Amino acid sequence: MTEGLAQVEDIYQDRGRRAKQLKAEGKKIVGYLCCFAPVEIITAAGLVPFRIVGNVEESSASADAFIEPIACSFTRSCFAVAMKNGYDFLDGYVVPHTCDNIVKLYDIWKRNVNPPYSHFINIPHTLSPASFEFFQAELVTFKKSLERFIGREITGERLGQSIQLHNENRALVRDLNELRKQEPPLLSGTEMLKVMVAIVSIPVEEANKLLRNVIKEVKGRRHGPPKKPARLLVYGTVEDNAAFIELVEESGANVVIDDLSFGTRTYWHDVELTDNPLIGIATRYLAKIPCPRTYKQRTGTHQQDLENRFGYLGDFVRDFNVNGVIIYVLRYCDTHAFDVPDVKEYLKGRGIPVLDIEDEYSTSSFARLKTRVQAFLEMIG
Amino acid sequence: MEAAKGKTTAEKSTEMSKRVRMMVKGMAQKAHEARAKGQPVAYLFIGSYYDEILRAMDIVPVGTENFAGLCAAKMDAERFLDKAESEGYPRHLCTYATCGIGFDAMRRELGTQPPNAPDGGMAMPTVMLGSGMMICDPRYKWYQAAQRYNDVPVHVHGFLWPPVDANLKEVQGYYVKYIRDELQGLVEFLEKQLGKKMDWDRLSEVLDLSERTLKVWNDAYQLRKAVPAPMPTEDALNTMVPGFFMLGTQEALDFYQELYKEISYRVDHKIGVIPNEKYRLLWGAGLPPWFSLIIFNYFESLGAVFPIETAYPPLPIVEVPRELHPLDRLALRAFKQCTYRYEKAQKHSGSPDVEWLLELIQDYKIDGVVCHRASTCRTLHVGQIHLLNVLKQYTDIPTLILESDIVDMRSYSEADTHAKIDAFIETVDAYKREKAS
Repeated sequence: MTEGLAQVEDIYQDRGRRAKQLKAEGKKIVGYLCCFAPVEIITAAGLVPFRIVGNVEESSASADAFIEPIACSFTRSCFAVAMKNGYDFLDGYVVPHTCDNIVKLYDIWKRNVNPPYSHFINIPHTLSPASFEFFQAELVTFKKSLERFIGREITGERLGQSIQLHNENRALVRDLNELRKQEPPLLSGTEMLKVMVAIVSIPVEEANKLLRNVIKEVKGRRHGPPKKPARLLVYGTVEDNAAFIELVEESGANVVIDDLSFGTRTYWHDVELTDNPLIGIATRYLAKIPCPRTYKQRTGTHQQDLENRFGYLGDFVRDFNVNGVIIYVLRYCDTHAFDVPDVKEYLKGRGIPVLDIEDEYSTSSFARLKTRVQAFLEMIG
Repeated sequence: MEAAKGKTTAEKSTEMSKRVRMMVKGMAQKAHEARAKGQPVAYLFIGSYYDEILRAMDIVPVGTENFAGLCAAKMDAERFLDKAESEGYPRHLCTYATCGIGFDAMRRELGTQPPNAPDGGMAMPTVMLGSGMMICDPRYKWYQAAQRYNDVPVHVHGFLWPPVDANLKEVQGYYVKYIRDELQGLVEFLEKQLGKKMDWDRLSEVLDLSERTLKVWNDAYQLRKAVPAPMPTEDALNTMVPGFFMLGTQEALDFYQELYKEISYRVDHKIGVIPNEKYRLLWGAGLPPWFSLIIFNYFESLGAVFPIETAYPPLPIVEVPRELHPLDRLALRAFKQCTYRYEKAQKHSGSPDVEWLLELIQDYKIDGVVCHRASTCRTLHVGQIHLLNVLKQYTDIPTLILESDIVDMRSYSEADTHAKIDAFIETVDAYKREKAS
């Protein structure tokens, strides 16, 4: 039995293995898209949440007969994996309303992959009091739907326990990120991303044990990855494969922090334990995840607006001693693309060099990207 | 650009549709005049369910998508798309948005309206009113981006409707309340920004007017079931303007009453769009390529006419008690309109859009379905393949997907489009013959 980073590598290489074992033992596995799915409720139902990813190394051409090439290539890839029976072990499918691409995918997947259980969770784009009230009601509907699926009530006690488990999970991820603050970091960006993918592929209790082992192992290292001239933050959309981060690190950088859907965006904020657990969950998912799909009303000048929306990136830059940022956005992710000029202005205003990359969800462009990344690193260097 | 060589707009059949161009010019002029007088002007999105609120508060609307479509039809979008791209907004983003952002960026840079902008350009807004809708991410991101160039307040009101597999009885209460509360938030924002209170009685009257307008508009389009087709889709792409940009005005109601009369006359006298109507097609999904509406005339040259379309349709008539508070009335109406075919879909195909197509195919005696995939819009253009896949489970009617964009004509090829249309018409012809035999 492997432990720590070796176990991470095992899971990363065969993400579905543990889920299939659990299914064989009678557990039900619920796949979900995106970091907006409230996994606490799924865990509280006694189900195993399993984050759906694509396959960056395979063509999504098999999706062409079902979903247009103008859709985000990540969602197309996820669907292509499913159509090749890659998610046959899933008993359920949960889709949060994140963006147009995911909204569209819900029915296409439901009809063609035909999972035994499926549910769409509507999430407002705005942060008004009415939006919080609505989202709480929507979470009640989701909870009832899961209760019908499992045939029993999800108690407040179970929800509270689940929130604690997932908060512990997030705290451990933050602890692990602390080890990236050192110079050089004790953990590479490539390793970190593999940890991120591994822990959303197994039950949260097992993920927490794995994280504790990884932290212990990394803390015990005499040497982490070699020191490179650049300490980078990678900002962007979905990065569920280590290939791009590996490319950046091989080009002469330490990726020391991120703002990605599979990274800090999912882990930086806990669910507050409230008398009604759904209030805490609603608040965390609606207000705390810094994804451009959630609209933040401007409250002051343009510069104040940038600080309000992207100040957390400034904190990362300061706390992790970052000296360059790569913006990595998948084509047809409209919400991110609209934000890119503002993100660049904010970072450049703080004197941080920025490389802006728009790409397909595919490794086919990596040779070209490597040249651009190298040129950027030379500029920082 | 092949299309740039010749005419881009389609020849219209109805006199009413020909009046719309002047109405669009009039709207732009009113907005500029309002701006000059210091009256409130708002950027707004089509079909965001707040039109009556603006009318009741004497806010002059500027339809930003409409302006982009106008730029495309006038072959004058390129400079704005280029400008937006130079500002960091890529070409694959919604080109309604990038055309608007490019225009705003250029106006900011020049300190005045860009020279020779269509209809004098968009009037500088007092506020920009986005919408956090169930679909269409640009509705809350576009004006956030535009705020870089227009230093005016933005308000985004949330607007969601449930997925088709929802239990409507379980969710209706909190969905309607959400729509209502968000509209209330919009009213409070406008009251604060404009320094005036909403007159609820007036809003009620505006709602009465808009509901009468929707009824006449729907009734007029029902007449389009006639053979030969009295009014084609290219006309409807004009006649939708009063309904989407002037809803809640007497002018819009008068327009549709006149349109009803004209279509009635054409039906009674069997005046069709073309002399020898051989094929009746449905514009089944997608927004049109505004820079090349002349393709409708090309279809007609082959004996094919579009009696009806799903693009820019009148909102359906739903029952809502008139005595409700106007915001409750608006919210309930919006919810019912957005879930209009859910019950039917739940009992049959599972898709409200497929149910809609099946209704139109039967009622309007349709021989083929044409969709248009605009490359920059995921809202209405991702999901067309799926729509047709499900449709094909219920009918073997021929279908076609044309590809280009709403505003950006770079990827458009007239020759390729004509070749696709030619092949499709052959298929439709064979289908009709087989059905007849």
